[in-house]
Amino acid sequence: MGHAIVQAARRLLNWRSLRWKIAALVAMASCAVALAVGILVHRSTLERSMSLGEGRAYVAMGEAENDYRRTGDASAGYSGEIPPALLQQVRSTGRFSTWYDGRQPESLWMWGAEPIDGQVLAVQIDMGTEMRSLRALDRHIVMASLAVLAVVVPLAALAAELPNRRLRRVARTARRIADGDLNARTRVGGRGGDEITEISAAVDSMADSLQDRLLSEQRFTADVAHELRTPLMGLVTSAELLPEGEATELVRDRVRVLRALIEDLLEISRLDAGAERADRASVPLDQVVEESVRRTGLQVRLAVNGDPVADTDPRRLDRIVANLVANAHRHGRSPVEVTVNGTTIVVRDHGPGFPDELLATGPQRFRTGAAERGRGHGLGLTIAAGQAQVIGAELTFGNAPDGGAIATLHLRDGVGSES
Amino acid sequence: MSVSEVGGGPPDPVTVLLVEDDEVIRRAVGMALERYGYRVSTAGDGLTGLELFRDQPHDLLLLDVMLPGLDGIGLCRRIRESSLAPILMMSARGDALDVVSGLEAGADDYVVKPVDTSVLVARIRSLLRRASFAPSPEHAPEPAAGGAGDLVFGDLTIDPQGLEVRRAGEPVGMAPTELRLLLEFAANPGIVLDRQTLLRNVWDYGWDGDSRVVDLCVQRLRKKIGPDRIETVRGFGYKLRR
Repeated sequence: MGHAIVQAARRLLNWRSLRWKIAALVAMASCAVALAVGILVHRSTLERSMSLGEGRAYVAMGEAENDYRRTGDASAGYSGEIPPALLQQVRSTGRFSTWYDGRQPESLWMWGAEPIDGQVLAVQIDMGTEMRSLRALDRHIVMASLAVLAVVVPLAALAAELPNRRLRRVARTARRIADGDLNARTRVGGRGGDEITEISAAVDSMADSLQDRLLSEQRFTADVAHELRTPLMGLVTSAELLPEGEATELVRDRVRVLRALIEDLLEISRLDAGAERADRASVPLDQVVEESVRRTGLQVRLAVNGDPVADTDPRRLDRIVANLVANAHRHGRSPVEVTVNGTTIVVRDHGPGFPDELLATGPQRFRTGAAERGRGHGLGLTIAAGQAQVIGAELTFGNAPDGGAIATLHLRDGVGSES
Repeated sequence: MSVSEVGGGPPDPVTVLLVEDDEVIRRAVGMALERYGYRVSTAGDGLTGLELFRDQPHDLLLLDVMLPGLDGIGLCRRIRESSLAPILMMSARGDALDVVSGLEAGADDYVVKPVDTSVLVARIRSLLRRASFAPSPEHAPEPAAGGAGDLVFGDLTIDPQGLEVRRAGEPVGMAPTELRLLLEFAANPGIVLDRQTLLRNVWDYGWDGDSRVVDLCVQRLRKKIGPDRIETVRGFGYKLRR
């Protein structure tokens, strides 16, 4: 429960999430629209204020001109100093001109000036009110935009949750398929027909074809097993019935070899078909390993530290240990030592060690490496590695500095040691 | 496990019915078992096997899964309708389908071909021990209130001496393995028994036993004594509810 909440929070706070990207996109789009509208409104309002100011300056100029004509007083309009820019403009055009004076923010003026009888008559109109209301308008536009963003962005993030959830489901399903659950399907399909439906359908059909291939491979493996084992069983039992003798021993030996080879090949093809599932139980490692070693009938020095318990599949663990021990005997030299230390099992011999090729690339079928490592079909280590993968254990190969091959099996820490 | 079989059969040899379509296996296994003192009858297909068994009940059946006509699983089911004789299945495919359906049909155990005669005989002996199972005192501890040594669990009454099980007064027919498993539970009421312990105590397997054998036998047991009597303790095993 708590874990789920933490996970949900982490998902929410992941800024790389599609949710936040969509929200950012929406925010950017909203800002662009607000900015464009704001600039347009600002400019048209400004133009309107200016032409209003100019109109008022023209009217005032008319009155000032009348006053001047009546009184002849050149200071009928503005009596102070006329700004040089306006003066120059009037002189050059020789007609009525206006000029907006925005030099000091606290006193904004619209000037009007006209040359009359060699003199320049000027008026000034206060523009402060217009400009203040324009600034207020700008502020309102910004505030309104922010308010809209505050509503739209969370809404967008929320709306993105829906496709997000479908995408997460697709990802979850793909992961389950990768983990071997070939019955997993997204089942997102249906409405929409959007890209997510498409990717879900693609994942589902991939799983379908994987499952088909796997099933036919498994069927083939089972059929091969049947076809090979049936005559083999007759052979094994008949060979046991033969009267004792040298020739019988030869036959029995070859039957044993043939049988081991067929069983190994069938085991590998089952592992390759990916149909193998671990049947886990909490087992005392010392007992499992001891029994496994005993069943091989080979000379082994077994050492156990503590009372290790592991959550694993005892039958597969038995296969791994038996194959490692058999391999150590076939390719290495005695004494073969098996050490159980916690959930780690080490099988070591005192022979020439694993060949470099095996250390570099792991076990390869039908390759035993160097000639001095003796004969064998090289399937044992492949099986050990394959079974280790099925039970989620890690099998590594190495050589001891003083000679000898070391195979180390790390079982997954489920229960741990009881000691 | 203290009971050891008398190797040679006389005076009354154990009869084994072997149903197997491969002629070499049929003859070789038949001869091999006869060397161990069993009296073996053989059949090459399911229907012949069924007829042979109906004519003369055998002490144990050894059935191949893949048979022409009536296959081993069908044959197993037909035999279970009328008999509780121990059944050992032989599978050449050894895949889950063969194993699980054989055990579901009522087989007590299975072996995968090729199997050494010594291993086959060991499985047969373990099965026969279950069939002639007489509980040692440790398996039938203090008798419950029910009376004459009967163990009572709800509507279930087990008589460990007479090897009789009654549910609500009605006798319940139990195959040897089922009965042996039920007695194992009855000896440890309310205690969780893991699959490995059951494999060892009932089937005589070590760590190499297949725990599906236990799961499927528990399933069959539940069908007979009611679904709730044996509880599954996830990740550990099973326990009998007091």
